[in-house]
Amino acid sequence: MGCCYSGEDNNSGEVKSSETDPLIPPPNPTSKPPNGTDWITTNVPSARTDEQALLNSIITKTAQNIIDVSAADSVVMEQHEYMDKARQYSTKLAVLSSNLHQKKALTLPSLTSQPHQVLASDLVPYSDVQQVSKIAAYAYSAISQIKVDAKEELVVQFAIP
Amino acid sequence: MKLSTTETGFRTVHLNFPCIYHLLAMESSLEQHLDDTMKNPAVVGVLCTDQQGHNLGCRGSLSDEQGGVVSVLAQQAAALTKDPTDTPTVCLESESGNILVRSHGTITVAVHKIAS
Repeated sequence: MGCCYSGEDNNSGEVKSSETDPLIPPPNPTSKPPNGTDWITTNVPSARTDEQALLNSIITKTAQNIIDVSAADSVVMEQHEYMDKARQYSTKLAVLSSNLHQKKALTLPSLTSQPHQVLASDLVPYSDVQQVSKIAAYAYSAISQIKVDAKEELVVQFAIP
Repeated sequence: MKLSTTETGFRTVHLNFPCIYHLLAMESSLEQHLDDTMKNPAVVGVLCTDQQGHNLGCRGSLSDEQGGVVSVLAQQAAALTKDPTDTPTVCLESESGNILVRSHGTITVAVHKIAS
């Protein structure tokens, strides 16, 4: 489906991967869990098994992906912190936007390199104007016939015993 | 989609999408209209777009990427007149042919005609 400036020829995969990353990474995500409790008990015997390491990495990843709304009230930012963050974001955005290539607008088929010939030619035939008007009216009529007519349930129950 | 693995404990499940099929069937009248328009020997391209520039169908020299340009051209032309019932036809002229852009209700149609 095409629309204004749509185009899939760019390196969208590369952009997509960075879209989900936070613009400014959290300074130390594991050091401050959202609910204020420690994720990891540190007094584990020295030899940490691979399984534990794996579990810890899962916990860390989960903690990064969770937005704890209950802790949102407790996180009070000072004004200078806000200003600092705003400055950081604007600096980061300025750097990123300078790297963006302005996409070239898609043009209609090339019409003429000699405008004087076109301007000196006859007027557009009125039959052409009538024809396009008729085509538009027919197309509108055809589109107005499109309607969703649900006949059966699209969502079905999986009755697994 | 059909699953018939009753021997492994699953029930047979039939999935089909009648709504989508039906919608496609209704859409075919527009597709047919675009095909009929292209049968005119002077017409080399036709495009149909909605108010947002989303392509509803296109043929020939006009592609779906031009839907945005076409719909905006018609809107800008309509903004030139104070009479809301007066729908203008935009004509992009060239020595080899014209592109005529015309709105009707919520849709806009562009027709690329070569000089006959």
